[in-house]
Amino acid sequence: MKFGKRLKQHVQETLPGWHNMYLNYKGLKKHVKLISSSLECEISEDEFVYLLDNEVEKFNVFFMEQEEDFIIRHEEMQQRIKRIIVNEPSSQEEYESYEQEMSKIKKDIVDFHGEMVLLVNYSNINYTGMTKILKKYDKRTGGFLRLPFIQKVMEQPFFTTELVSKLVKECETTIGELFPAMVAVEEMTKATGTVAGEGIFKNTVKALLTMKEIRKGSSTHSHFSLPTLNLRDIELIRSFQFSSPIPII
Amino acid sequence: MSSTNETVGHIVSSSSEISTNLHISSEETCSKRPPFVNQSSGVLRSTAFRDYMKENNTISWCTDSMSDFLDYPENIPIKCTNLQIMPSEDIGKPNDWQDWADQLITEDDGVTPNWNEILVDTDVSDQIPKMEYHVGKSSKALSLQVNSLVPASPGDACNPVTPSSCGSQSKPRMRWTPELHEAFVEAVNKLGGSEKATPKGVLKLMKVEGLTIYHVKSHLQKYRTAKYKPEPSAEGPSEKKPTQIQDLSSLDLKTSSEITEALRLQIEVQKRLHEQLEIQKNLQMRIEEQGKYLQMIFEKQCKFGIDAFQPASSTQEKSETELTNEISSSPTQTKTEPDPAKVGSPLLQKQDEELDPLESQPAKRAKLNESSSTESS
Repeated sequence: MKFGKRLKQHVQETLPGWHNMYLNYKGLKKHVKLISSSLECEISEDEFVYLLDNEVEKFNVFFMEQEEDFIIRHEEMQQRIKRIIVNEPSSQEEYESYEQEMSKIKKDIVDFHGEMVLLVNYSNINYTGMTKILKKYDKRTGGFLRLPFIQKVMEQPFFTTELVSKLVKECETTIGELFPAMVAVEEMTKATGTVAGEGIFKNTVKALLTMKEIRKGSSTHSHFSLPTLNLRDIELIRSFQFSSPIPII
Repeated sequence: MSSTNETVGHIVSSSSEISTNLHISSEETCSKRPPFVNQSSGVLRSTAFRDYMKENNTISWCTDSMSDFLDYPENIPIKCTNLQIMPSEDIGKPNDWQDWADQLITEDDGVTPNWNEILVDTDVSDQIPKMEYHVGKSSKALSLQVNSLVPASPGDACNPVTPSSCGSQSKPRMRWTPELHEAFVEAVNKLGGSEKATPKGVLKLMKVEGLTIYHVKSHLQKYRTAKYKPEPSAEGPSEKKPTQIQDLSSLDLKTSSEITEALRLQIEVQKRLHEQLEIQKNLQMRIEEQGKYLQMIFEKQCKFGIDAFQPASSTQEKSETELTNEISSSPTQTKTEPDPAKVGSPLLQKQDEELDPLESQPAKRAKLNESSSTESS
């Protein structure tokens, strides 16, 4: 399947509220097709650049909003965990509510982690789409828009995902502390029965599989293309796509 | 220019934000395409385009005069509701404007006195002053010139513009960091908590250069939401799942441990995705680096005009080595070629197509193979 279709599929399945935030790959592709291949046509090139700039702007705005939210929520999460852990239960009733709180926050923090990863994924998919559309443009017009433009894109906030990645890692540390012992993936196969087909988890599974598909060899695959993705446990991951009768709370 | 001061956030300015939104509104009234700031990397192109747009539009951003600026609202009615200059729902509230105007008058020393004129002008709609304020903090920068790199506002050392090649004059967008947020939380706590704290108070306490009351206000709003609606948050992404916590406590331990296992599974997949994303990003960056390097080599090749028109790929490899030797040994010659761009284009295009022979250098291939095997290990 081509990138455009993959992207469309991904966008349809993605978290609500994110739908319009992805690259308008289809629209841009149409534009490229319309552009005349004459190099004197500076107007259309600038028009194209204008469209691209708008897209970049769109990514930046959305990304930074989300990033800001994550910073706030991350801190709140930490506070919340501290509060729960401090209140060690002494009586039976307290124990139950403690357990409840713990379960809830475990779920919440794992979902939160997932959301942040999905934002990084968002950034990456849009970047990939941009390189592709620029490549198409250059091919069509014989221009050299791609290289300098992509250099500029790489400096944009939406691409510099280091902070979000850092938060993700911190989250993982916290999760490691909350969940006593991390079990290997193979041993978790019995847990697949309780995996629901909705929510953050579904999105991350799909994102991972989409990534693999996008990086399958294509007709324009060259040494400058990303190598194909080899995921271990790919079949296991694929199996998560089917919703189970027991929804995870 | 960007400082590595991590205790404060970054202000990201992007010149197309304003122009984008103006574009939206102007489309409704003007048939002419409004000017915009071309952020494209090609400096040459952007200048050319700007000139082009100047000729063809009555509305010109590229002006230094204040009066043009004031005239602007008349030309483009920015009263349309879909105009979103900032990513916030606070646009156009009168009390905000007053509060914010106070802030401007008292705190922004780097702004020209003319700003006050705009602010007290009651004919102008509420949205206008905000837009204009955020268009440029620096006193000189009413013209959205593409090529100036540095925000001219003094005392900007603490809040650098992120290193984007676009001009700095439009709305300075805030990029929050955990450190900045910490300072924010401290200030809020000093003022008695998120409910009691006011944006003005927080802003005063934080004492961060370049931070505006608008930034604080929207951040405070988010903060309040996060505190009182912990998770799933109202920001949209998470789906509404009714948390059946009551049921959980009545379930036996086995199921609860199943749930824990399921969560572990989820986290493993998520970690995997994140890992792959990081690897992918690194690869992408390296690919671009290599591309940049090759481009440089080609441009040098054009300059020297050696073997520029050799069709055979083997000669290209050879000429590249020759060229590298030449570059390292001889001083740079002044350009004698009439138009390196024209000479370069067929060469570059050919190079793009004939990457394989060039790239068959074992080192590069090994690198790519190495990284792909890393991820599969």
